Amino acid sequence: MLNFRLIARHEFRKMIGTRTFLATTIGVPLLIVVMMGIGVLAVFLGRDDRPIGIVDQAGILAPGVAPANQDDLLTLIPYANETAAYEALAEQHIQAYYLLPADYPYNPQIEQYYWEDTPGGNARQTIGAYIRANLIGSVPDEAQLRLSEGAEVTTRSADGRREVRSDDFMSVLLPFVAAFLFVFAVIGSAGYLLQVVADEKENRTMEIMITSVTPLELIGGKALGLMAVTLSQITLWVITIVVSLAVGARYIEALQGVTVPWSLLLVVVLYFLPAFALVAGLMTAIGGAVTQVQQGQQIAGILNLLFLLPLFLIILFLNDPNSPLLIGLTLFPTTSFMTVTMRWGLTIIPAWQLVLSWSILAGTAAFSIWAASRIFRAGMLHYGQPLNLQATLSALRAK
Amino acid sequence: MPTVSVNSISKSFGAVQALRDVSFDVYPGEVFGLLGPNGAGKTTAIRIMMDIFKADSGQVSLFGGALDPAKKRRIGYMPEERGLYKDLKLEPTIIFLATLKGLSEAEARQQLEPWLKRLDLYDHRQKKIQELSKGMQQKAQLIATLIHEPDLIVVDEPFSGLDPVNTRLVKEIMEEQRQAGKTIIMSTHQMYQVEALCNRIALINNGRTVLYGEVRQIKREFAGNAVVVSGDGSFENIPGVLESRAENGAWHMTLAANTNPQDIFRLLAGRDDLRIGRFEVAEPSLDDIFVTVVKEGRGQLEADHA
Repeated sequence: MLNFRLIARHEFRKMIGTRTFLATTIGVPLLIVVMMGIGVLAVFLGRDDRPIGIVDQAGILAPGVAPANQDDLLTLIPYANETAAYEALAEQHIQAYYLLPADYPYNPQIEQYYWEDTPGGNARQTIGAYIRANLIGSVPDEAQLRLSEGAEVTTRSADGRREVRSDDFMSVLLPFVAAFLFVFAVIGSAGYLLQVVADEKENRTMEIMITSVTPLELIGGKALGLMAVTLSQITLWVITIVVSLAVGARYIEALQGVTVPWSLLLVVVLYFLPAFALVAGLMTAIGGAVTQVQQGQQIAGILNLLFLLPLFLIILFLNDPNSPLLIGLTLFPTTSFMTVTMRWGLTIIPAWQLVLSWSILAGTAAFSIWAASRIFRAGMLHYGQPLNLQATLSALRAK
Repeated sequence: MPTVSVNSISKSFGAVQALRDVSFDVYPGEVFGLLGPNGAGKTTAIRIMMDIFKADSGQVSLFGGALDPAKKRRIGYMPEERGLYKDLKLEPTIIFLATLKGLSEAEARQQLEPWLKRLDLYDHRQKKIQELSKGMQQKAQLIATLIHEPDLIVVDEPFSGLDPVNTRLVKEIMEEQRQAGKTIIMSTHQMYQVEALCNRIALINNGRTVLYGEVRQIKREFAGNAVVVSGDGSFENIPGVLESRAENGAWHMTLAANTNPQDIFRLLAGRDDLRIGRFEVAEPSLDDIFVTVVKEGRGQLEADHA
């Protein structure tokens, strides 16, 4: 147990001192901050408070009828005809003007004219608000929104503990982001494990190690150390995301109202450990079986596709998160982590699927670590020669 | 009780029989030389002892039984192909390896300093291993082997890459360890080092033990197996002579097992193209014995195949 801890600590220290680790750990949050910064800047720089004009050929905008809530709305100047609006635009009195056709609302095509700079989002928001106020001004504001945006469907689990709202864009986006971040981090670390195992075998460091510790201590310790590295990395990323969201929400409307998805975090943590162990076991087995790092990386590249399969099915996730294929991927050990996380914001995953998929994943992970130490041991015995399938199976069957 | 008891181990890799029925015992307080030409099976035997390889048959007993985690801590092993983390610094690497052998980090640090100073590595302790010269890496590996004061020291080619000064230093260290009662197994090609250090040897050739016993006894058995001749003419390619080499103005000849010095003297004296100035029976060096056994083994092998 002591050796296990020593190896884990050694791997952790070794890894966090590398340039690759520093580059990815600081680079990803930095990228997130930069992206958020660009978003905030775009909101500020893109803001144009000049009025907009309207040429109402349909005659639906009555004088004096305006939206009750004027927040973020621009001043709307009516023009009698298009020529007058054009002159105002040319003299830059207005940033854009809109042409409501005579047959509006039967023909809902509104034309927008602007000089060089595209009008900001609040220009369209202003037009929409004025049209709603005039067409359905007698209906309460909330009902106006329902009429314009349709129904919001909230799915609740039978026990009432979970609910998924169709209008909660961030609740859908966050699980996707989490799934990508975690899976890429896990695959990255496990890939490093493959490199470490194959490298140490190639340069004979392993010969020293194996005369001090057992294969299970060696492999388990390395996997644990790298898992700690990944967890540290992810914790840093999560903190950056939370801080960025908190800061960004002050300037970007879509981020307001986003709350920490604790249930998602719990699921991610629960699935992370066995998923990491599974990938680590597979990569170690590959590293132990091959004689050169390059050979191992080629095999690992193919294997990674098994973990990233859900990524290619995003459309299916959005259209039918409960499709039989996605249920199958939920239960399949290499795809369960990503599939469960991505489905989390889109549907209520039945408890039986969660319990069964986690159990299958945990069982497979335990087997993978055990098999990895066996294959690694057998690989040590075949110095200079890669393990073939027969030798691999023999290693697993050996007493 | 022997520290190491190797009993009839055999090992093959596919069609290649690396070891056949090899046996030897090694006792505390002795330096045991495991000798043999390249590919003889020395490293395979060591790897089987260290539980890196499993023998196809036969048994290895260390400290009176099978190797277990507690016994692993009593072993210091320096493999032939050096294995230290190239991209890590010297000091933390050795401390890490020492902690795996049961030392605390503080103990390892305390033990390490005098070793670094003695082997002239103290000023390089914060350098990455890959930045050290081959000889320095060799010395670093030796420290990693000895820092936890093991009872059994297994060193494979400990002098490779060392200059004469460091070779002498390593020999001194080996001698100190022997005097401290440690069991040392040394595999090397350098016969003069074996003569200087080893009490007993096993010579492995073609996977078989062909010589085993005390160095002095073996040398006595092979006495009369070498002659030193000086004179005019070429003393090469003499029938019954396995090897002739010019040394200090004389010819040192290793004789085949069925040839005695008198036969050679008569043969040389009868040759018109040679003039003998001096002829004396030499005490065979381990080098001579090695050549005799290995060349005859090769001849035997060729005859078997024919």
